[in-house]
Amino acid sequence: MEEKKKGILNEDWLAFWLASVLVLVSLFAFAGIDLLGWAIKVEEWIDFSKALGPAGKAYKGVISGGASLVITYVVLTVLLSIGIALLGGNVKRFIIGFFFVYWLSIVCWIAGHYAYFAATDPSKYNIPWSLKLTGEGGFIFALILGLIVGNLFPGFANSLNEALRAEFYIKTAIGIMGAILGLKAASALGMASVILFNGFCAIIVAYLIFWGLVYYMARRWFKFNREWAAPLASGISICGVSAAIATGGAIRARPVVPIMVSSLVVIFAVVELIILPFLAREFLWQEPMVAGAWMGLTVKTDGGAFASGAIVDALIRGKTEALTGIKYEPGWIFLAAATTKLFIDIFISIWAFVLAYVWCAMIECKPGERVSWAEIWNRFPKFVLAYALSFVLFLIISAPHAPKVQSVENKMKLVEAKIKLLEKEANATTDLAVKEKIMKEIESQKAQVNSLKAEIKDSADIVNKLRTATAGLDALRLIFFLVTFFAIGAITNFKKLWAEGLGKLAVVYFVALFGFIIWIGLLIAYLFFHGLKPPVIQ
Amino acid sequence: MSNQPNQDELLKELESMKYDEWLPAESKLVKVCLGLGIVLIVILVFISRTFFQ
Repeated sequence: MEEKKKGILNEDWLAFWLASVLVLVSLFAFAGIDLLGWAIKVEEWIDFSKALGPAGKAYKGVISGGASLVITYVVLTVLLSIGIALLGGNVKRFIIGFFFVYWLSIVCWIAGHYAYFAATDPSKYNIPWSLKLTGEGGFIFALILGLIVGNLFPGFANSLNEALRAEFYIKTAIGIMGAILGLKAASALGMASVILFNGFCAIIVAYLIFWGLVYYMARRWFKFNREWAAPLASGISICGVSAAIATGGAIRARPVVPIMVSSLVVIFAVVELIILPFLAREFLWQEPMVAGAWMGLTVKTDGGAFASGAIVDALIRGKTEALTGIKYEPGWIFLAAATTKLFIDIFISIWAFVLAYVWCAMIECKPGERVSWAEIWNRFPKFVLAYALSFVLFLIISAPHAPKVQSVENKMKLVEAKIKLLEKEANATTDLAVKEKIMKEIESQKAQVNSLKAEIKDSADIVNKLRTATAGLDALRLIFFLVTFFAIGAITNFKKLWAEGLGKLAVVYFVALFGFIIWIGLLIAYLFFHGLKPPVIQ
Repeated sequence: MSNQPNQDELLKELESMKYDEWLPAESKLVKVCLGLGIVLIVILVFISRTFFQ
């Protein structure tokens, strides 16, 4: 949704441009130059010296993990400072604030990758136990640290204010994510189209049912007037802050109404973010895509929804691997969450237009009010365009090659596993005739691998370049996610829930959200996504 | 984070809120939303199961 501009751009457009520029820069991989490979990548660790390293293969052994960490900080500070200047913000305050946001978040990220917290297979590190949170547990640590800062050190949190731009960080991350998911979707086009269609269906249904119920409840049970009930219904049922503001604008409510609703939305989204992914891990780990879509449908801010999608992706993959040995490809559960949330964002503008029309035609038309089609574009979330463009671009480039490469790589893995078995057999036997026979078989299998490699040489080359491009992008995307978690925590002040006057709003919100939005959201997610499973790595 | 209303403004707003009469048009709006939502669930789940599994 379009927010007020102080500078040349607003946050929505800035996220669009920043994500688009990073995606375009990544494409230098096709010229053999990895311009983003310096970005920091943190691995699971028990020995700290192995925790950090650059994301790009070309940089491994060239720059140390520490250098990569500092380069990532410097580059992001420069890029984001330019962005803050374009937003008309205070660059000096941002630089000071971002220093703390980045380094505190990174500490959480590194801690989250400690094997005792992250490892899904503790025996790999010779340790007796692990929380099996996967590395994404670092997001939860960042959120908790942010909440501690925001609620116990409000003065310090206030001094970081300029750098606590959770919605901007997550929108940039999502713009970048389009490229990564585009490449992923190319190797499983059928699955991607099912997720897109079902996500689209789920949100149409959810919009109508959620909104109607919450509006009725706010008006009839809690006796709110129309000016309050409509933004409240949109804020609780659709997409929190953006929807409350868009609806407030559509029905010409005074600005204070959606702003007050928004302050509640942010707090409840964090409550959902803390609870729902863990509920999903406990009860929905066998329905991973339902869990992802559920996060997108029920967590009511962009930051909260994408963040809970990322956590639930990690938690369910970790649990499934630990219990069954099945390793799902990362990102697909998140894709279900992101798809539903992005469709919700897109439809806010259309919903605001419909409400404005209905209000003017059927309920109350304020003097001078005219409903314009231009409102749809004005309220359209522009960062979604960065996601859509980068998704389509990477999908188009990779679609003719990725499925072929994927299929041959799978075959090669099988053949290579067979070669290893044969080599073991050859080493174990003392019978020379048998050994010679096995060696011949190994040679034949190796020839098969070489022939498979030759078969996809050109396609593999293109896919490898795309993987190089997305490696740096993915590392940056994770950093944007990470600072989002910290920022969400730091801007959430739970004391507001007890503030006199907000009580009635909070009660409506609580009853609607936990009384039926979450459960109807779960039902809708189940109806459209049950039975779907992410692709399996092994 | 920014633009938060202060406590006085908040109280004044909520105290001054008067209940508007429930209009037949609002009943219609809620019924259409819920009815359409339920009908669409059936149709879209059918399409999804038939063409997108």
